[in-house]
Amino acid sequence: MSKQLAFFIDQTVCTGCKGCQIACKDKNNLPVGMNYRKVYEVNGGGWQQVGGFWESNVFAYTLPVSCMHCQEPLCLEVCPTGATFKRDDGVVMVNEDVCIGCRYCEWACPYGARQFNEQTGVINKCNFCADLQAQGEPPACVAACPMRALDFGDLNELQARYGTTAAVYPLPSPSLTQPSIVIKAHPDARRATVETARIVNLEEV
Amino acid sequence: MDARQFPSLLLAAPHRWLRETLLQVLQAWPGGVTTADNHDALLVAAKAGTDIVVLTPFAFGMHGADLLREVHRVAPRVRMVALIPDDDGDYRLAALRGGADAVVYESQADVDLLPTLQTVTRAEASRQLRRRSSRARWVKEERPMDNPNPIAELLTERHVSRRSFIKWSAALGGAAALAGGGLKFGLEPLKSTGAAPAAVAGTGEWITAACWHNCGGHRCLLKAYVVDGVVQRVKTDDTHPDSVDFPQNRACARGRSQRQQVFGPDRLKYPMVRKHWAPGGGDKSLRGRDEWVRISWDEALNILASEIKRVKDTYGNESIMVTGGDITRALTLYGGYTTTWGTTSWGTWFYTGPKTGLGDGLYATSHNDRMDLRNSQLVVMWGANPAWSSQGNPTYFYQAAKAAGAKFIFIDPFYNDSAMILADEWIPIRPATDHALALGIAHTLITEDNPKTNPLIDWDFLNRCTVGFDKDHMPAGADSKENFRDYVLGTQDGQAKTAEWAAEICGVHPDRIRALAREIAQTRRVALLTGWAPARVNNADAWPQMFMTLGCMTGHIGQPGRMTGVSCWEKSANGGPDLVAAGGSGVAGVGDNPIKTVVNNNELWDAVLTGQYTAGYKSVKPINIQMLYHGMGSALNQKVGLVKGIEAHRKVEFVVSQTHFLTTNAKYSDLVLPVTTQWEREGYVKGNREVLMWARQITPPLYEAQDDMWVVREVATRLGLDVAKVDPLPLKQQVFNQIAGAKVAKVDGSGQEPLVTISEADMAAMGVTGKPQQGRISLAQFRDQGIYQVQRRPGDRLGYIAFEAFRKDPEANKLKTDSGKLEIHCKSIAEFVKNSGFDEVRPIPTYNKATEGYEDTFTDWAHKIKGGFPLQLYTIHYRRRTHSVFDNLPWLREAFPQEFIMNPVDAEARGLKTGDIVRITSRHGSVMRPVWVTERMMPGVVTLGEGAWSQIDETTGICQAGATNTLNGAIATGQGHQGWNSCNVQVEKYDGTLEPDATWPQRIVFPGASNHV
Amino acid sequence: MRTEETALVLFTILGQMAVGSFVILGIVHWWAVGRYGTAKADKLADYALLAIGPVMILGMLASLLHLGNPVNAYRAVLHVGTSWLSREILLGSLFAALGALFALLQWFKIGSTILRGVLAVIAAGVGLAFVFAMARVYQLPTMPAWNTWTTTASFFVTTFLLGALAMMAAYVLSYLYLRNKDAEDVAGLRDMLGNVLRSLSVATLALLGIELVIVALGVVGLSRGPLEAIQSANLLATEFLSLFATRLILVLLGAGLFAFLLYRSARDLNRERAAFALVFAAFAFVLVGEAIGRYLFYVTSVKIGL
Repeated sequence: MSKQLAFFIDQTVCTGCKGCQIACKDKNNLPVGMNYRKVYEVNGGGWQQVGGFWESNVFAYTLPVSCMHCQEPLCLEVCPTGATFKRDDGVVMVNEDVCIGCRYCEWACPYGARQFNEQTGVINKCNFCADLQAQGEPPACVAACPMRALDFGDLNELQARYGTTAAVYPLPSPSLTQPSIVIKAHPDARRATVETARIVNLEEV
Repeated sequence: MDARQFPSLLLAAPHRWLRETLLQVLQAWPGGVTTADNHDALLVAAKAGTDIVVLTPFAFGMHGADLLREVHRVAPRVRMVALIPDDDGDYRLAALRGGADAVVYESQADVDLLPTLQTVTRAEASRQLRRRSSRARWVKEERPMDNPNPIAELLTERHVSRRSFIKWSAALGGAAALAGGGLKFGLEPLKSTGAAPAAVAGTGEWITAACWHNCGGHRCLLKAYVVDGVVQRVKTDDTHPDSVDFPQNRACARGRSQRQQVFGPDRLKYPMVRKHWAPGGGDKSLRGRDEWVRISWDEALNILASEIKRVKDTYGNESIMVTGGDITRALTLYGGYTTTWGTTSWGTWFYTGPKTGLGDGLYATSHNDRMDLRNSQLVVMWGANPAWSSQGNPTYFYQAAKAAGAKFIFIDPFYNDSAMILADEWIPIRPATDHALALGIAHTLITEDNPKTNPLIDWDFLNRCTVGFDKDHMPAGADSKENFRDYVLGTQDGQAKTAEWAAEICGVHPDRIRALAREIAQTRRVALLTGWAPARVNNADAWPQMFMTLGCMTGHIGQPGRMTGVSCWEKSANGGPDLVAAGGSGVAGVGDNPIKTVVNNNELWDAVLTGQYTAGYKSVKPINIQMLYHGMGSALNQKVGLVKGIEAHRKVEFVVSQTHFLTTNAKYSDLVLPVTTQWEREGYVKGNREVLMWARQITPPLYEAQDDMWVVREVATRLGLDVAKVDPLPLKQQVFNQIAGAKVAKVDGSGQEPLVTISEADMAAMGVTGKPQQGRISLAQFRDQGIYQVQRRPGDRLGYIAFEAFRKDPEANKLKTDSGKLEIHCKSIAEFVKNSGFDEVRPIPTYNKATEGYEDTFTDWAHKIKGGFPLQLYTIHYRRRTHSVFDNLPWLREAFPQEFIMNPVDAEARGLKTGDIVRITSRHGSVMRPVWVTERMMPGVVTLGEGAWSQIDETTGICQAGATNTLNGAIATGQGHQGWNSCNVQVEKYDGTLEPDATWPQRIVFPGASNHV
Repeated sequence: MRTEETALVLFTILGQMAVGSFVILGIVHWWAVGRYGTAKADKLADYALLAIGPVMILGMLASLLHLGNPVNAYRAVLHVGTSWLSREILLGSLFAALGALFALLQWFKIGSTILRGVLAVIAAGVGLAFVFAMARVYQLPTMPAWNTWTTTASFFVTTFLLGALAMMAAYVLSYLYLRNKDAEDVAGLRDMLGNVLRSLSVATLALLGIELVIVALGVVGLSRGPLEAIQSANLLATEFLSLFATRLILVLLGAGLFAFLLYRSARDLNRERAAFALVFAAFAFVLVGEAIGRYLFYVTSVKIGL
C-alpha cells in the first residue's frame, strides 16, 4: 500500500482527560451513547500491610482508542453491503447511505470503533476527520490533546519515528487486523496482563 | 377575496422571541393576527373564533398532541398549523396525530410558514365552499384560489432574516423537544462521507469565545464557528505552531462542551416566581418542590424591588444577605447588606500564607516560572493533581520538567491522574494529616543534621531569612520557649515529633518518612509544591506555615530549580507576575457598604436558623436574616452544610437567584431571573501569565435572558437609586478599557509597554471613547486573533524565581511580614485566628488535630477502636465540572459519571464491587452514588467529586446526585475557612437503583410544572 | 431478552428448521414413494411441504427486524465476495425461492417427477449450504466462543433435529386432516405414519446423542480456549447456568424421553392420541430448548479486544 494514515498514541503522557473524546463529539455532533474516540483506563497492583502500614504496588494508565483504520479490516471483510470501504489513504469509512444496520461489523471490530446510530439505524465511525484533513487541518482529537499525546501521519513515517508497538494490554494482537497504530507504551503497560490488570472504566466507554 | 374573507390568524407561542419574529413574517397578513403566550390565552382566543392557529404545540409544558386535541375540542373548526423542532420525525407524527392540519419546521418557518398558510387557506376556503354549496347549490362562488392571492405577494419579501430563525430554532429546538415527553438530545451525527460541514466549507466565522469559568485551569483559547448565529463547532488554539516553549493554549473537555451549556435546552428562559409565593414568603416549606409560574420581567423586577424595600423597612438592611453578584452596588447605595466572609478554595493559604511570608497561591505566588521548573531535580507534588484541578497546559509544563530529568514524588491519598504519568514515587497519605508528615520530616532533619558530616539543614538560609526556628532566632518580644525546634523535639511537651509519631497519624511508614526527609534535603534543586487541598482541612491554620518551614529548613527557596509554595489553580506550574495583563474596566466603586456585619461561611445557615453569629473573639451577636440574594455563584450547593442550607432557605422570607439554569440556588428560590452567559455579552477579557484573550459576543441573548447588570440597574431604578452610579459604564466601554489598558512585558525584561495600538478610527468603529495609543499589536489583530501570547524561550529575560532578591539580601528586600522575614514564628496569624472567634493556635506551626480528621474516625484513639464513621472522605475537583458549573451537560455526564471512589480493601469488607449503588453517610447528611473500586485509592480513605447539583429525594432525604456538601458539615474552626477535606463517613450498600447521570432528564422547567426535577 | 438477539434467534432457528424440514421431508418422501407409491406418499407429504414455506418466510422477516435500516436490506447480498453474511442472505433467499418453486410444481404436479426430484435435490443442497454459511457468519476471529467447528456442527444438528420433529408434527397434522377427508385409506396412511414416526424417533434420538457430545466438546473447547472463550464458558456456568440447564432438560425430555416413548407407541399407533401428543410435545420442547440454546449462543459470546 502506498500510503496508510495512522494514529500515534503516547500513553506516557495521557492523563485520560477526554479532551479528545469531547472534541470528537463536538466535531461530529455525537449524542450521548456514541463515541468515535474513547479513553480506557487500566488499573492493576494491590495493597498489603507491612508492619502495620499499607504498602501498594498499584499501577494505572490510560489508553485513548478510536478506529485503527486497520490494514486488514475485519469490518470491511464481513460487511454484507459494501458500505464499508477503505480509501487510498488507508482510511476506513462507512457509506451511511448504503449501510443496512446489521451491526455485524460491531462483532468483527476488536477495537469497539463501530458506533450504531439509534436515530438513523446505521453504523457510524471515525473517518479520521477526512474533511478537515482535506483542508490541511489535523483531526479534531489530535488538535485537541492538551498533553500532546496524540499524533497522526503515514504509518511508515510514524513507525520510523516512534517504533512499531501496536498493542498494549487490553488491545488484541495486531495480527488480527493489522491496525494502523503506533503506541508509545506507558512503563506500567509492560506489567499489565489479563492476570494482573483490568479495564476499570467500562461504564464510561 | 377581500381581507374580510381572509382567515384570521392566532399566533400562539410561549416564547416571546418566537412570537415577535413570526409577527414580522405575518405583519401584512390581511385577515389579522392575534397572539397568545400561554395555554389559557390560547384556548380562550381559539374559542373566541379564529380561523387558523399557528402554534408551537410542544413548547407549552405538556405533550404537544394533547394540546392540539385540546384546541380542537374547544374550537372544532379551527385549522391548526404546528411549528415543530427540526431534527426529529417523531414531532411531525405527534403533531399530525394530535390533529394538526399542517406542520412547519421551526428553522424553516420564515420560508415555509406563508406557503403552508396558503395551502391551509385554500383548503379552508374550499371547505367553506363545499359547506355553503351543500346548503345552497345555486350559489356560484369563485374559488378563492383563483383569485390573485395576497399571500403570494407576502412571499416575495423576507421579513425575517434566516439568521435569527435558525438561531432560535437551534436554541429552542431541544427545549421544545423535551416538552414533548422523553429526553431527546437533539444532536444528529454528521455523515462521515457526506457533505463537509459548514465549519469546513468555510461559510461562517471563527470567533474567540469566552471560557469564563472558575476552573482552576490555565485559561485556554476557545473558538466558536458561527454560521448564521448558530455555533456549529468549537476548536481550541491553532493560532501558531505548537511547541513546548511556545505552546498552544489547548482547552479541556469542559470548555469544549460549552456549546451544550450556552445553548442547553435547560437554560432558564424567562422570569418565574414560585406558585405559592406571596409577599413575606407564602408557603415557604414548598421551596424546592413548588410549581413555577412564568411572569414578565416587569412583574419580576417589581416583586424583587418591593421585597427588598419591604425587608429593609421591616427588619433593616442587615437582614438582606447577599451571597454574591453586582446587586451589592445597588444595595450599598440603599443602606447596605450583610455578606459572608472566609476563604473558599484557598483553605488556610489565603491568610496564613501571606502573614508568614509565602504567597496565597493566586494573587501572589511563591514558586518559580515554568521555564525554571525544568531546572529542578526533584519535584514534590504534595496534595496536587493538576490533571484534574488545573486543566489546560499545567500538566504539560510539569511533563516538560520530567522530560528535562526531574524526579517526581506525589504525596496524596489517591494515585491521581497526574501521578499516573509523572510519578516516580507515590506516598499515600491520609487526608488531614499532612502536617504530621511534615513534622516527622522536620524531626528527621533536626536530629540527623550535622553541618559538617551530614548537612541536611540550610542554616545560612534559616539564619538570614527566617525568624522563630530556634530560641536564638526569635522575633522581638516573643517568648523564646515558643520556638519551632523545641516544639519538634518535644522539649516542653515531652512529645518528640518523630517519624514514628508522625507515622501513626499520617499512615506513612517511619522509614519512608526519614528517607523522604533525606532525599529532599540532600537533593540540590528541589521544588516543594503543594495544592490548596491539604489546607482545606478543619484546624489547618498552621499547615501553610509548616510547609514554608520545610522549605526554609532545606533552603529550597529563591534559587534556580529551588522553590517552595503553592502551585495550583491558575498558577499551577507557572509562578510569577503576569507578563501580559488586562487593564482595569474603569468602573468606579460605589463606596463602602454601610452595614459592617459579615457572617462566616461556616455559620451562614446557622445564622439564619439560630439568629446569631460569631462576630469575633468571645463575641456572639444576634442577626435576623430574612432575605437571601443569590446574584451569582452557587452558595447553597457549594458552601458546607447543605442540609442546613436547605432548611435556612425554607425559613427566610424571600430568596432570589440570577442564574442560567435551575441550579440548587434557583431551585430553592422564590424568584428566578434568567441571565445571559458570556457568549451572549459584549465581550470578555481574560488571560494567564503569558496570554491575554479577547472573547467576543457569539450570539444575541437567548430567550428572555438579560445581563446581570441590567437586572441590577432595573432594581436600582425601582428603588429610586442613582443608576448612573450603580452602572456607570456600558460593558463595551469596560471591555475596551481593559484592552486599552493591557500591558505586556518588554522583551528585554526592563518593564512594560501597552499591548494594543489604538487609533481614533478604531474607537469610532467600536463606539467607545478613549485616547489613541501606540502598542505592540493592532486592535484589529487582537480582535481577529482573539489572543496575544508572549513568546517564551529558555534563557529569555522573562523568567521568574520567587524570593530571589530576598534570599540574596533579606535586609534590603524585606517581605511584607511583621518581621520582614519568613515567619516560622508568626504572631499575627495567631492573633488573626484568635480574633476570628472560633479557636486559637500558637505562633509556631504545631500539629492541630482536625475536627473530623483521621483521629475522629476512632472512638478510642489509644486502642484504635473505630467509631460509626470509620472512613475519611475528602472531596476533589472533579473533571466533569468546574465546581458546580457544567454539571448539567450530557457530554460531560457521559464522560465523567460522578463515581464514589473506594479502595478494594474497604469495598470487599462491605461486599461492594464497582457499579454497586452505595449510601454514604456522615454526621451531617447522606448521599448515594455508584461506587468505583480502585487500587488507586488508599485504604481507609474515600473520595467524591465536589459540585454535583444537589438532588434530594424528599422521601428519604438522601441526595442522589452526590453533592458533597450534604456530607460536609459546617464546622467553623481557626480562620473560618471551609474544611472540605476533613469529614468522616460510613459507606453501605444501598438497596435500590440509580440510573447513570447521563440518562437523567435535564432540569427543564415549564411554568405550571413542578420543579422537582 | 434483548430484541436484537430475539430477531437473530428467530431467524436462525426458523431458517434451520425450514432447511431441516425440507431435507427430512425429501428423505422420508423418497422412502415412502418406494414403499407406498407416489400417490400415497404425496398425500401426507404435500401438506407437510406447504408448512415449510411460512416458516422460512417468518425467519427471513425476523432477520429484517434485526436491521437498523431495513429499507436498504436488498443491499445485503452485494458483498458476497468476502462476506459470509452476504452469502448467507443470498443462499437463504435462493433456498426460499427454489423451495417455493418446488412446492408449487409439486402441489400442482407440474413437470416430471424426475425434474421435480432434481429441483428438490438442488433446493436441499442450497438449503444445506445456507446453514453452512449461517454457521460461517459467526466464525469470526474476534469471537472465540463462536469461532469453532462446534458452531457449524451444532447448527446442522439443530437443523436436522428440528427438521425431523417438525416433519413428525406435520405428518401427524396431515394425517389428522386426511383421516376425516379420505376415510377409505386411513389404514394405509396410518401404517405409513407409524413407520415415519418410528424412523424419525430413532433419528431424533441419534441426533440428540450427537448434540450432547457437541455441547460437551464445545464447553471443553471454550474452557481450553483464549481468555474470552473461558469468559464465555464462565458465563454459561454462572450467570446463565439455570437457563443452560433448562435448555438441556427441555431437549433431553423432548428428543430423548418423548422420542423414546414415541418409538415404542408408534409401532401400531393403538393409542393414537397419546402418540400424537408425544409428537407435539417433543417438537415444542425441543423448539423451545433449541431457541434457548441459540439465545445462550449470543449472550455468552465474549469479543476479543474492546
